[in-house]
Amino acid sequence: MRQEVIVIGGGIAGLQCARELHQAGREVLVLERARGVGGRLATRRYEGQPIDFGPMFIHGQNPAFLKAVKGTEGVIFPSAWPRYLQGHGQPCQPNAFEGEEQRAILPAGLNAFAKDLAADLKVQLQTTVTQVTPDAEGFALTTEAGQTFLCRDLVVALALEETLALLATMPVQPELVGIQALLGMFASVPSLTLLAAYPREVPAPEWDILYPDQSASLQLISQDSRKRESPEFITLVIQGRPGWSAQRMALPNEVWAAELLKLAAEQVGAWVNQPLWTSPHRWRYARVDRGNELSRPILTTFDNGLRLGLAGDVFSPGGGVQAAWLSGSALAHRLLNEVRL
Amino acid sequence: MTTMDSRLQELVERDRSHECQGFGQDHVCVRVVAVAKLPSRFGDFRIVAFWNNRDQKDHIAIVHGDVVGAEDVPVRVHSECLTGDVIGSLRCDCRDQLETALQKIGQMERGVVLYLRQEGRGIGLANKIRAYALQDQGMDTVEANLALGFRDDERDYAIAAHMLQSLGIGSVHLMTNNPAKVQQLEQYGINVSRRLPHLLPPNPHNRFYLETKAQRSGHFIDFTGLPRLQEQSDPVIIEGMPE
Ligand SMILES: Cc1cc2nc3c(=O)[nH]c(=O)nc-3n(C[C@H](O)[C@H](O)[C@H](O)COP(=O)(O)OP(=O)(O)OC[C@H]3O[C@@H](n4cnc5c(N)ncnc54)[C@H](O)[C@@H]3O)c2cc1C
Ligand SMILES: [Zn+2]
Ligand SMILES: [Zn+2]
Repeated sequence: MRQEVIVIGGGIAGLQCARELHQAGREVLVLERARGVGGRLATRRYEGQPIDFGPMFIHGQNPAFLKAVKGTEGVIFPSAWPRYLQGHGQPCQPNAFEGEEQRAILPAGLNAFAKDLAADLKVQLQTTVTQVTPDAEGFALTTEAGQTFLCRDLVVALALEETLALLATMPVQPELVGIQALLGMFASVPSLTLLAAYPREVPAPEWDILYPDQSASLQLISQDSRKRESPEFITLVIQGRPGWSAQRMALPNEVWAAELLKLAAEQVGAWVNQPLWTSPHRWRYARVDRGNELSRPILTTFDNGLRLGLAGDVFSPGGGVQAAWLSGSALAHRLLNEVRL
Repeated sequence: MTTMDSRLQELVERDRSHECQGFGQDHVCVRVVAVAKLPSRFGDFRIVAFWNNRDQKDHIAIVHGDVVGAEDVPVRVHSECLTGDVIGSLRCDCRDQLETALQKIGQMERGVVLYLRQEGRGIGLANKIRAYALQDQGMDTVEANLALGFRDDERDYAIAAHMLQSLGIGSVHLMTNNPAKVQQLEQYGINVSRRLPHLLPPNPHNRFYLETKAQRSGHFIDFTGLPRLQEQSDPVIIEGMPE
């Protein structure tokens, strides 16, 4: 299938990039591996009740980004959540509580922001791109299911390591060698995350998020049900710290999930050990830490005029959802305004 | 206290409640917050510290002679370079450029070096070292360097313009080899009455510039075989260098 622009990755970076290209009249197709859009801005449901298991809230200070977030239906803004913090541990994005940063949640789940961005876009879900081959006609893409696509402009908007893996499927290109070397100097950090649901009767604490003091294992516990209007269940999201998670990446889920639950019970109370339901999630590339920040997306033009753009949370200062959005926006801007060489 | 000292001190008082729309895209606003004598090996200076509303970096003016209210003040804008300025790195010419500026201005009647603390602002130093690491691997890709983004000229010149205005300088002689810098400063309302070329004296570390052979597609490769990065947005000119 021939397309003007293809965006690989329906996370916040890819969606915002596609959206701006679409609004400028470009014909865009988004290919996304998962069953829904949003990537790491992830929400799932237990008995219909949303649970955010990527970021716990959306935060930022860039006016354009905040405006986009505020445009999402039902958004609670600003700083409505977290109302009560507990503990003195480090938040995953330390800047989330700094200076002019504003914070927002969505009772329908944070993922609704991504769905909103995707509203007018052509998105093909459950499509994993496994191979990219530039030739005279364009970039030829192959998917896991054996489908093929062709485009002149290609945007890759994945986690850093996934981007590198996809670039590695391309034949060696002088244009790319330096960029691959550059990206090789950056890295994402992992997070093992456990979701747990409890009956309403448990003695739930009064805080929204707990950042445990000096814990080498627990990043945070989010009492997700406090973000919901009339929750049927008390729900917790328990995140492991990057180093702790990295050491356990290869273990079976049950092993680290049991460990996380026990650690959470020590912090919150014995009732935490008796969930109605749990669900483990292995974030191999959860986010980029400070110091792993580029200032802008990458756009490179091949000899025959094909253009390859790279966006994602590492391609804008600060990391996280805002950086992902800004990188997608900046890349769209460059694709629309930079003349082909 | 000399009249110059008291006039600089008055700026601190004046700026206590200074607020303005700010300069440039980022609306940068600065205030003079502290002034002291700074005798140095390059001459007799006053050092002026500025607060700004954008980052936690204290920018500095190094002032020689009476500049408040003066016209045609020689000015050099220098962007902080830890590796060059402090460690004497030979991957750039920042230290030569800074020392030469201080030396020249120290011998003139008056003048100012604006020392802009650009490194560590946002994503500065680590990414500069990554750029060096890429060069070490023989990769000097423009797109990669831009993405590393260790320079922000637009902001630097907005800050510089506000600092000059805060010092009450009427017009400047800008010491630069880059004519575009004149416009960058003028666009913020600074009257640049002249451009002074910034020539560096030859020394054992920059002598290779004098041999045209060393130049390869706009890059200067030094005796160690490493490219010399132009970090001050100012092309290097050594006295006696062929055109
Ligand atoms: C546990 C956790 C906590 C976090 N905490 C915070 C926080 O507090 N604050 C903050 O700002 N950020 C936080 N983040 C980070 C934030 O979620 C991400 O930085 C941001 O969502 C990244 O967006 P993106 O578009 O760059 O990438 P992604 O969201 O990863 O989007 C990439 C998309 O591409 C898809 N994909 C991957 N490979 C392929 C392929 N080959 N073919 C097709 N599709 C593919 C993926 O399924 C995904 O949907 C957190 C993340 C996690 C996981
Ligand atoms: Zn001001
Ligand atoms: Zn330097």
